[in-house]
Amino acid sequence: MSFRIFILGLSATFGVAWLTVVVVPYITMKNLKPIELNEAVDGAKGIFYPKRTGRIANGARVYAENGCYLCHTQVIRPTYAGNDLYRDDWAGLKADPDRGDTRRETNAYDFFGEKFAQVGVSRLGPDLSNLGRRVESIYAAGKDPANWLFSHLYNPRNEPKRYQSTCPSFRFLFVERTIKGNQSSDALPFSVDQNVEIVPNADAKALVSYLLSLKKDQAIPAVLNFAPPKNKG
Amino acid sequence: MSSANSTTSEQDAILRSGIDRSLRHPVMFFLTSGAAWLAVSIVLGIVASWKVHSPELLSGCAWLTYGRVFPAHINALIYGWGFQAAFAIIIWMMARLSRKECKAVGTILAAGHIWNLGVALGIVGIFAGFSTGIPWMEFPIFAWPVLLVSYISIIIWSFIQFRVRPEGHVYISQWYFLAAMIWFPWIYITANTLLLCIPGHPLMGVAINTWYKSAILFLFFTPVALGAAYYLAPKVTGSSVYSYSLAKLGFWSLAIIAPWAGMQKLVGVPIPYFLPYVGAAATVLLFVPAITASINILKTATSSRDVLKGSPSLQFMTAGIVGLVIMACAAVFLNLPNSTLPLSQFSMSGYGFQILALYGFFSLVMFGSIYFIVPRVTRREWLSRRLIKMHFFFSIYGIMTVALIAIFGGIQQGAAQEAFEQPWQNAATSAFPYAVATTIAWCFILFSNVFFFLQLTLMWLRLGRRSSHPTLLTSSHDSSSSPHGDDGDIDNAGPAFQATH
Repeated sequence: MSFRIFILGLSATFGVAWLTVVVVPYITMKNLKPIELNEAVDGAKGIFYPKRTGRIANGARVYAENGCYLCHTQVIRPTYAGNDLYRDDWAGLKADPDRGDTRRETNAYDFFGEKFAQVGVSRLGPDLSNLGRRVESIYAAGKDPANWLFSHLYNPRNEPKRYQSTCPSFRFLFVERTIKGNQSSDALPFSVDQNVEIVPNADAKALVSYLLSLKKDQAIPAVLNFAPPKNKG
Repeated sequence: MSSANSTTSEQDAILRSGIDRSLRHPVMFFLTSGAAWLAVSIVLGIVASWKVHSPELLSGCAWLTYGRVFPAHINALIYGWGFQAAFAIIIWMMARLSRKECKAVGTILAAGHIWNLGVALGIVGIFAGFSTGIPWMEFPIFAWPVLLVSYISIIIWSFIQFRVRPEGHVYISQWYFLAAMIWFPWIYITANTLLLCIPGHPLMGVAINTWYKSAILFLFFTPVALGAAYYLAPKVTGSSVYSYSLAKLGFWSLAIIAPWAGMQKLVGVPIPYFLPYVGAAATVLLFVPAITASINILKTATSSRDVLKGSPSLQFMTAGIVGLVIMACAAVFLNLPNSTLPLSQFSMSGYGFQILALYGFFSLVMFGSIYFIVPRVTRREWLSRRLIKMHFFFSIYGIMTVALIAIFGGIQQGAAQEAFEQPWQNAATSAFPYAVATTIAWCFILFSNVFFFLQLTLMWLRLGRRSSHPTLLTSSHDSSSSPHGDDGDIDNAGPAFQATH
């Protein structure tokens, strides 16, 4: 076997796979087909464009820099690949007061606004696909969701029932300062001293805004909805 | 392979000692700085692993939060230790196999320093909070062109040596090294360009990233380690490779299968449906190249039991190949769609498998090569067989613990994750004992490597034994009943004492 054939062999074996699993899917996914809404079933006209509010780009940067993706995932697998959908509050809410069962699997349109989808590598902590929804409706029901998340980031073991949490504390995203005049509305509900308040810094605010934007349970067009039809139960 | 037909064995020995002398500084530079990064990585690994079960440890400081220590640990292990060990082994073995002295020592050393600088700045960047947040590519964006250019400046000379070598047979190790040398930049440029420079769909970014991680393991570290093992086994035992056809089968099946692997970690993620299944099939099929090469190398290495008992190189290398067999079995066991894959997908088995590959297979083979190469380039012998034995056994204990965690702990954790009727805390709790075990395993690995670092430093300072007797594990240094006879079996004994192979 000559050197030329050897190199050709190496390039061919690698190149075919490289084209098939990397380059072609990259191009296909980059030009994802827009989904046209069907008025009869979706109740709206035009192009499907998932709405998402919050400081997504800044918050995703803080999320990446502090390695949240090492312990938290952001994907709800379909039932053939795992049991994520069956949990009461992971994929949406089992009993949303307004919309009923909102649980659904993650789709390719859920990551708009992010450069890299933080699907994550392991689940030492729970999935965060719908963390925003969960905090608003369950953890901080009736309270300020951002403030609940600030307290949680400051000390994940703050609530007695979370005493076993192994999430690191992000105290370095907060500053302690003397209270002058009124207390900040972002200040944590606890402090080290009566005259001192603990307030989140810019990174913490961006991160919390991002985390609250994680609500991958909005209604989707019928063509993307893989849930079994309800009437055929 | 090194027996010369056209020259006498004396000329041959002069040529080999010339090659060793020309490469002394680059090889020792890569090995010592690689070992230093290994030390950094193991210490960070202990800290990171400790934080998994004791989250309040060192938690007040932004630099030492788990999400920064862990990426620093894995990146130091891969780019600091793994690549530099690979550089040393590639440049030395390619020079020996091409029978050419190295003519670009200055360039290689300069590029080596730049590589280290890039890795150091990258690690500091991760600690300082400039991580990209992409697994195994966490170095801030400036790092990858620096690393790529220094990689090319280091490796290109081995390629040139191969091209200008005297005509003759191309040995199996050379296939593997050449393949690794060519595949790595291809993989590296693809991943970095498509993720950092012209990002496409955010989910395809994840897919390319999982492919990248798998490709680095199976298309760079695996061929380098197999190339080194194919060099050491026949060289140390003095027998020829067991089967040439098996070698061919092992090599080409790796080349055909490995580039498809990786994306099985994304089953259920909305990317083109076939990608995770192709990935799972390829990862399971990697059993074929792994087992073919393992059988071939183990058959060669065990052809002489006495040599195997005595030679530290051969023992480390054999242990590494056994690690490859375990890894191949784990690849099958952990990646069966609809059965174990949903359980292993997001459990600690992923990390365990990577450590099994990087340490239990790759690093052990590298240690074997280091115990073989360093005496030749420094012209000194290892000081103590006890230190080598300590290094060997504690490494094995440590990596065995990691392997058990990878396979059983990960599956148990995954099963708890899938038990959707139970509270999530159950899954977190089930991972706890395995996290503690991982910390203990890293402590074993650190302890074992203290002996290695100590001895390597002494060798680097040229404080090794001045002797023509290699340090063997079975007999003490001064024994006159050395299995290698009176004159020793090492090249640096000089031409007059040259053995026949």
